[in-house]
Amino acid sequence: MKRIAALLSCALVIIGGTVVGAMAQDAKFGLEDIPEIKNKSALNTIVETGQVWDRIMPYIEEFTKKTGVKINVERVASPVVYSKENVELMGGTGYYDVVYVETAWTTEWSAYLHKLEELASKYDPAGVEGFRQDIAHHSPSILICGQAYGEQMVLPFYTYHMSMFVRQDVFDDPTEQANFKAKYGYELKAAATAKELYDQGEFFTRKKGDLLKGKPLEHDLYGLAMMAGAYQINDEISCRMWGKGADYATVVRDADGKLKEFVITKKDKDALKETFAEYKKELQWASPGCLTANFDFVVAQQGEGRAIIQPHQFSNCFAWTASIVKEKVPDGKLGIWPTVGGQPYTGAWSVGVAKASKNPEAAYWLVRYLASFECHQAVMKEGGQLSTRMDVLSDPMWHTAENKYPFGILCDYLIDSWKKQAAYVPNYWYFNTKAGGKVYEMQMNVFHKPMAGEASVDQAVQEVVAKTLELTSKFDKTVPIREEK
Amino acid sequence: MNANRARETLIDPTLSDQALAVVRKPSVWEILTSEKYFKWTLLIPLLLLLLVFMLYPLFYCIYYSFHEWGMQGDALFIGLKNYRQMLHDGSFMEALARTLEVLVICIVAELAIGLGLALLWNREFKGQNIVRGLALLPLLVAPLVLSLLWNFMLEYDFGAVNQILTAVGLGKVYWWSPQFALFTICLITIWQWLPFSIFVLLAGLRSLPRDVFEAAKVDGASGWYTFRRLTLPMLSPLIMIIVVLRTMWLIRLFDPLYGTTRGGVGTELLDWIVYRTAFVYFDVGYGSAMAIFSLFLTIALCAVMFRLLMKSLGVIK
Repeated sequence: MKRIAALLSCALVIIGGTVVGAMAQDAKFGLEDIPEIKNKSALNTIVETGQVWDRIMPYIEEFTKKTGVKINVERVASPVVYSKENVELMGGTGYYDVVYVETAWTTEWSAYLHKLEELASKYDPAGVEGFRQDIAHHSPSILICGQAYGEQMVLPFYTYHMSMFVRQDVFDDPTEQANFKAKYGYELKAAATAKELYDQGEFFTRKKGDLLKGKPLEHDLYGLAMMAGAYQINDEISCRMWGKGADYATVVRDADGKLKEFVITKKDKDALKETFAEYKKELQWASPGCLTANFDFVVAQQGEGRAIIQPHQFSNCFAWTASIVKEKVPDGKLGIWPTVGGQPYTGAWSVGVAKASKNPEAAYWLVRYLASFECHQAVMKEGGQLSTRMDVLSDPMWHTAENKYPFGILCDYLIDSWKKQAAYVPNYWYFNTKAGGKVYEMQMNVFHKPMAGEASVDQAVQEVVAKTLELTSKFDKTVPIREEK
Repeated sequence: MNANRARETLIDPTLSDQALAVVRKPSVWEILTSEKYFKWTLLIPLLLLLLVFMLYPLFYCIYYSFHEWGMQGDALFIGLKNYRQMLHDGSFMEALARTLEVLVICIVAELAIGLGLALLWNREFKGQNIVRGLALLPLLVAPLVLSLLWNFMLEYDFGAVNQILTAVGLGKVYWWSPQFALFTICLITIWQWLPFSIFVLLAGLRSLPRDVFEAAKVDGASGWYTFRRLTLPMLSPLIMIIVVLRTMWLIRLFDPLYGTTRGGVGTELLDWIVYRTAFVYFDVGYGSAMAIFSLFLTIALCAVMFRLLMKSLGVIK
């Protein structure tokens, strides 16, 4: 009897220990875990305007209530964030304590940001290990985007990882499928190659009165909707460049994995030339308005039922597009797929602590809180943006019958895409150079030129190469860059 | 009392109050408000503001135009390299040519349409106050907001303008095509600034002496002759003022691009390329050289026009 009791006790201890252990492992960092902050100086930060930050403001107020640290939040249009922060960071004014960062700028700004693990070891009772445990819930590839030279500089807030949106109801229509197969000789499915995308663009571009799903169209229809304006075209081109296994410059490392040099290889140049040519050819299946379009226009194009495919679109526009489709095309439904080549442009708006901050302690805790499960749930549920936390995306609430479309399939796409892409992200050139932000802005302007007929494809490639060399040599003195002739 | 005053003024303590009053040193307030210094009292605060907010940035800009500096580390002196680079920079030259094109198109259109409407509105008509009030509206809206509004209105598929054109059977116009985009920018600019020309010219027309026109009428001069020989010459100083001011403003044209093409489809103008270079690439040295060039271009053009203005006013021959 005693033996049985002892065995039962042991079993209970083991089960209890396992449950407590699991709970402890699953316990998520929250406001209650923030210790007493000694430095009460107010923090300044700058973020974008828009719904997501409207919804996060009450959480920031909660942070102030808990810690006694006032947060002054300056809100500007997203294109202004970079220049305002850049001036303050480079000037070392310390004006912004918490910095809002597009991941392409992380390495560029790394000299002006605190390494988060150093702050964790200084201020966090759970230490670096506790910090690592909590951030491990974030997408592995997005976390890499927020690193500079292997150090975590920023934590993600919401993602704009790209994807391809198709009108799934049209792709699944038997008449359309049969007609497509009869014309091109292969099945109609989300395009995985440039040729497939071109064919689909051509196939779906129709005039008013033509049939779609057996019904006459009330307006002209375009196969594709693209953002060829001098603003977001570079993100589209990045999808295709990375998808070809190329980049704007190849990252070369030494045997220890340290950055050795950047080389604009012949392969990179050929891939860029090919990408420009493909993109330009595809544009003929898009509305002429695409030449000056940003994301909002293309979302409207597909949402209103005037385009079938958005070949490269920010995933955080998926639910928005789906809601317009629901209203304007009652039997319409969207599908989300990887972009051609399977390596979509990736990244996230993130938050970091400025080195010149007057109060790095409070800034660290605010950054941690903004990246926490609680805030990221609010980002998804209330703000309509996409969390980068796998535990938020895996939450059963997004996978119920009611939420599966559009949220469930969107969450599944992101988790799957990030897992597949994580191996490639560390070598994406943007995330390794200090000139990333400058080159990124230059590309917006130059990539648009061949599409608008301002330059030929060859001229545009030459200009991109020359300006990439010039800007990188000027703004990244740590890693040399050269062109392979 | 006398002793105190004597210490203050270092004047012989034996002097009477009356004598002291005559020779004592004037107070600071008295000096500032004296006839001799009053003009400086009024001018100095303004000059200080100019020095801090105009001259200091100008000299700063000139200084950096001779340096290479990306807001990191020390600026490197490179002499005239930035200016040489500018002269060989195809994008800069194209932006300069486009700016001059916009300058000519906008000024000619604003003057021609403005003068026409001013002549039309120089008569009494029913609802004139409402029409004039409404005409002022474009000037009261922030240029950036206007450019965003026009961007939506001229959008190819969903824009209100194309919807109207389609409804009346004219078909869609691709306003932002590479062939049209620069003219569309001109259209937005003209639409916003036309009221300025109209009201300046209308004010001029209202102030013209009636007797001269009555005399011309008595002499049997035709309407066209009167316009050509009387109205136009009398309005010429105002026309020159419009040309000078609009030249200065148009060389700095920026807002219509920000809300629409962002310099794409062949619409990059001088100020946009300066902005892109200095505040996007943070190539402060090169951007400063471009800005200085833009400034001196404005000064040169305005100097020529100012001379013409003075001639038209008869101040110089």
